[in-house]
Amino acid sequence: MSDEIRLQVKHLCKSFGVTKAVQDVSFNVKKGSVHALIGENGSGKSTLTNMLTGIYSIDSGEFILDGKKIHPHNQVEANNEGVSIIVQELGTLSGLTVAENIFLGHEEQFVTLGFKNTNAMNKKANELLHQYGFDRIKASDMIDEYNFEDRKLVEIVKATYFHPKVVVIDETTTALSQEGREELYKHMERIKKEGGSVIFISHDLPEILDKSDMITVLRDGVYIDTVASADVTEDDLKKYMVGREMTGNYYRADYDEKVSDEVVLSVKNVAVPGQISNINFELHKGEILGFGGLSESGMHEIGKAIFGASFDREGSVTLEDGTEINDIPTAIKHSIAYTSKDRDNESIVKNQSIGENICLPSLDELAGPFGIQSDKKQNEFANKFAKEISVKMVNTKQFVSELSGGNKQKVVLARWIGKDSDIVVLDSPTRGIDIKVKQDIYQLMDRMRKSGKSIIMISEELMELIGMCDRIIIMKDGKISGQIDRGREITENTLIEMMV
Amino acid sequence: MDSSANAVGKKKLSGTARGYLILVGLVVASWLVFKIITPGNFGSPKNMLSYFQASLIAATGAVGFYFVLVMGMFDFSIGANIMLSAIVGCVFATRFNLGYFGLIVGCIITGAIVGFLNGIFYVKLHIPSMIVTTGLALIYEAVANYIAGGIEQTLPSNLRAFGQMPGDIILAVVAFIAAYIILNYTKIGTYTYAIGSDEFVAKNMGIKVDKYKVLAFIISGAFFGLMAILTISYGSSMVAVTGMASMSRNFVPTMGCFFGVAFKKYGMPLQSIIIGEFVINIIFFGFIALGAPTAIQDVITGLALLIIITLTTKVAKGEIVK
Repeated sequence: MSDEIRLQVKHLCKSFGVTKAVQDVSFNVKKGSVHALIGENGSGKSTLTNMLTGIYSIDSGEFILDGKKIHPHNQVEANNEGVSIIVQELGTLSGLTVAENIFLGHEEQFVTLGFKNTNAMNKKANELLHQYGFDRIKASDMIDEYNFEDRKLVEIVKATYFHPKVVVIDETTTALSQEGREELYKHMERIKKEGGSVIFISHDLPEILDKSDMITVLRDGVYIDTVASADVTEDDLKKYMVGREMTGNYYRADYDEKVSDEVVLSVKNVAVPGQISNINFELHKGEILGFGGLSESGMHEIGKAIFGASFDREGSVTLEDGTEINDIPTAIKHSIAYTSKDRDNESIVKNQSIGENICLPSLDELAGPFGIQSDKKQNEFANKFAKEISVKMVNTKQFVSELSGGNKQKVVLARWIGKDSDIVVLDSPTRGIDIKVKQDIYQLMDRMRKSGKSIIMISEELMELIGMCDRIIIMKDGKISGQIDRGREITENTLIEMMV
Repeated sequence: MDSSANAVGKKKLSGTARGYLILVGLVVASWLVFKIITPGNFGSPKNMLSYFQASLIAATGAVGFYFVLVMGMFDFSIGANIMLSAIVGCVFATRFNLGYFGLIVGCIITGAIVGFLNGIFYVKLHIPSMIVTTGLALIYEAVANYIAGGIEQTLPSNLRAFGQMPGDIILAVVAFIAAYIILNYTKIGTYTYAIGSDEFVAKNMGIKVDKYKVLAFIISGAFFGLMAILTISYGSSMVAVTGMASMSRNFVPTMGCFFGVAFKKYGMPLQSIIIGEFVINIIFFGFIALGAPTAIQDVITGLALLIIITLTTKVAKGEIVK
């Protein structure tokens, strides 16, 4: 890491209505460094980097890159200034080829007299993909043919092929498998070696400490401090982020509690063609049952299969009273809740308010005589559960699309807490969520468990499975490859050995 | 080339080939049905050529409309545009004695101006395109009526080369090639798909979304101008109707365009528009050969098209269709 300053962030401010998302934030990013930006959900990290990359306009303040003030109005202008971004969610466009996605906004180099030279564009894109070691991805293929992970790899190429001075990696790693993460780390290291700077946003504090040189902490849109990662511990960072010592247990502290023998859900011979097969297990009353495995192991399909959301599902999912769950309405009617890993596309209704999202599955319960809905009841209901899980918002009338990723997740959870479901299926519930809210969620799960609710937790984070679950089922190639009961002796390695 | 690339190449080829196979199958099936029912007065090679020629009219407009539809917008002023463009073209050609030059330039420029107005009102007023174009269609009808002075505008026989072979085919082929080049070999095509896929991301990529939306309407309008040339050349005259009566002209090009969207996944949207319009015309002329009442024709044509699009647009399980 050089001592030379690459990027100066000076007195930056940004508001959305009455919400002050970023307030007078200033710090410096050095050349050849990985500079982490951490903070709770809604602390202003993404807002700040979105201003840097032209996605949001700047209210006041400035970015100075290599001594020159920059004020991009979109990502292409940011790219031209030497700044690029890899976003949290999907950043490639369906309906275009891989090459068109890589060069979107930069086609001019392949255009002569208004005509686009597709062959030259594909050739160049294939060369880049080869350089990055992504030979299995072909430039002329439609991007739709590739999965989320591969599309993220295309984004890495898109964001870094032109050797930008600053690359923003916004909460990307949580969406990637370990293999994908390693690929990303490799390129972060390369950028650093080439003298570029990486602004790295993540909620994974061990990852932050391991991969970054400097760390800037934001809280409620305000700059807190910048520290060298070598000088701080995970607990220090938690304290900076939350503003106080984190008290109480992070995960569950009990190890010897016996789970009830009462079976609330039986899954027998469940299969979804091409995804999972021969899945058999039982869920007990008051149990937290974890599912772990590699991203493509089929574990994410388990949640859908239980909730009746899988297509062509075979086998049976049966409740204690003998009710078979084959579709979503039946699942909800019989007190089953489900939160998807793909929050934006499968869980929240982006064009509706926070309140509407929270009330959505509970409209029948909230309805008055003859099904007439009452605004007052809905507001009270939404407010109660949004506050219970501390959604950072102006009010429940605010559009959910305006919230940060973590706060969107809180809205999804508030919805099901409000529904008071007896069986809760949580797929990656803490993905993109800061440590404070993570702790809140873990404590909430623990309370739910103690009150007799049963939880299925699907997660790629092994530590939270170990810390929270009574039993962990490991998936491999669409099948159950092992099962382990809660115990102090379980480590990440224990699970990894079962996964690979 | 490595084996995986070969595999990809084969996959693509089979996709396109499958698309053509389905379309040709539809042509043969629709021909066969009516040929069996009315063997005498339907479906001879000569008849089929004339059906194809007739289908070129709507296909010429539909290939332009595809740009608007793929971006997620709609146009209810298609009929009004065709009517206004044809009347202006006819006036240029006859009243101003500009001949073919007046006809071609008058129709295309008018169509493009109508497209520009549609686009600019849509992006500036921030009103859904369906509402904007419906409102503007009333205005275009009134303008056409004013220009025509309430009189049917007739194209003299010496200016009707585009109403017969080879003029109509030449004009249509030029239009198809132009649309194909714009879609596949210019930025406009890439941006059309990008905006249709995710407008917000497209905007963040520096694409001037509003500019390209207006451009899509201009392209669409200009192609409807070309369709107007063929329409008035075939029919020899154009009456300026009012009270949204022009909307009856919307149906055929729109349906052809739906074929394009349905077959986009096979990588052959424009080709499928052309063949799709041919299928629509075979069905239409089949009913005429049957002597079926207009109402029955409309019902069965509508149903047949719904069935065709449903069978050919096999969406992935779980995919949301709007």
